[in-house]
Amino acid sequence: MFRIDQYAYTSRLRHVHPGEKFAFAILTMFICLAASTVLVPLLVTCLAAAAVIMVARVPARFYFRLLFLPLGFLVAGLLAVTLTISRGANPAVYGLVIGGVTLGVTGPALNQAALIFTKSLGAVSCLYFLSLTTPMVEIISILHRLRVPALLVEMMGLIYRFIFVIMETAGMMYVSQGSRCGYAGIRTSFRSMAQLVANLFARSYHRSRALYTALLARGYTGEIRMWEEPRPVSAKHLVLIALVDLTLLVLVLVTWRWPV
Amino acid sequence: MKRRTCTLIFALLLLLCFPQQNAWAMHIMEGFLPLKWSLFWYALTLPFFIAGLLSIQKAVKVDPGVKMLLGLAGAFAFVLSALKLPSVTGSCSHPTGVGLGAILFGPWVMCVLGFIVLLFQAVLLAHGGLTTLGANTFSMAVVGPLAAYAIYRLGERLSLPRWLSVFLAAFLGDLLTYVTTSVQLALAFPAPDGGVMAAMVKFMGIFAITQVPLAVSEGILTIIVFNFLLAHNRQELEQLRVLSRGV
Repeated sequence: MFRIDQYAYTSRLRHVHPGEKFAFAILTMFICLAASTVLVPLLVTCLAAAAVIMVARVPARFYFRLLFLPLGFLVAGLLAVTLTISRGANPAVYGLVIGGVTLGVTGPALNQAALIFTKSLGAVSCLYFLSLTTPMVEIISILHRLRVPALLVEMMGLIYRFIFVIMETAGMMYVSQGSRCGYAGIRTSFRSMAQLVANLFARSYHRSRALYTALLARGYTGEIRMWEEPRPVSAKHLVLIALVDLTLLVLVLVTWRWPV
Repeated sequence: MKRRTCTLIFALLLLLCFPQQNAWAMHIMEGFLPLKWSLFWYALTLPFFIAGLLSIQKAVKVDPGVKMLLGLAGAFAFVLSALKLPSVTGSCSHPTGVGLGAILFGPWVMCVLGFIVLLFQAVLLAHGGLTTLGANTFSMAVVGPLAAYAIYRLGERLSLPRWLSVFLAAFLGDLLTYVTTSVQLALAFPAPDGGVMAAMVKFMGIFAITQVPLAVSEGILTIIVFNFLLAHNRQELEQLRVLSRGV
């Protein structure tokens, strides 16, 4: 149902200990965000792309399509960061003058935009590395081991499982409404969509009651325990992660005072 | 010079069309905020989050079935945000479910559910991000639901017609979410001349194109949903104690 989830279950890195992948993704992401020049973020972007495409064997086309996904926000956000609006003519601003107001961009603002762009790209690549190699269930089990409150972890597990059930129900409702011309015009669209949401709510409510009853009948005492596949921690991977992240950290410090 | 100006105008117009294609444009993307602001918003969200967890814990103690209910409510919220909303402007967008969720489940529960839903959206759908999760939770799961709930209760107290208070709750909940996001972006990237205020005007101006029609659509949709629920699912609503003043 979700392509990312599907690749997480079929990637070549599926059987690597989830803690290693989690640590690598989060550490690298923070190093990338700490960078003050574009070099390290670009390196991180390439590194994550190589790991996802060449090691985890996720199709390159899918990966690059995924990278384009946040472009809408990125473009709009960067536009707001770089756009300078000032009264009167400003020699530092490159742009156009409309009725005495200068609308344009400045050199430093462009530099800042380039830095934000590469940093976002690097951080997003780390996120994709994690989500394309580690199934949600394993991420939840790491959170459990990191002593995240049990209630929260349990709710995450429940929500993850129900998303698929409810998504399917909603999809079936949508198809059957559509086949009865439920989305023919704007008025009927609103009506159909509202009906779908209200119905979905009622269905979810009753399903949760039924689930609780079923669990009680099987001796539920307030805790659902899941079996976790044992995954060995590999020393080789740990050394590799430490080496890569240390190198990146040193590069961040070396390039600290570079202009871009 | 003339050609340059034309190109610039064309580029601007093109860029303005962009956010409409991306329906989840208001999730701050991964890595967009500087490190210190990411941490700041995480810290600011934390007390609300703990309050939410404690209130859930209390409810679970009284009735363990609440946990299942909230699990399904969270999945419901996730699926809701994946539906395509018919929009008043013709472009398609997605409901946030902030207003409906806050009225149905209360603002404290929504804070925890919203956090989980946003985390899943980041990992499963690549919308939003882990470093910006704090900021996104604050705007979409703290400010939005709290405002929507407060407005709904205020409407009840003033005995406004129910459709009006539902509409205002959903509409203003969405708008305040978007204003909060603009403030977050403006604080992180103040304009060189004019500072935070000027930056905020810029961000709000750019995101208004998608967000204002979305808020109107969501307001209308929430009214119709609520009418359906009142007509057919009164019993469930009463169990959730939505109809606090028995109608």
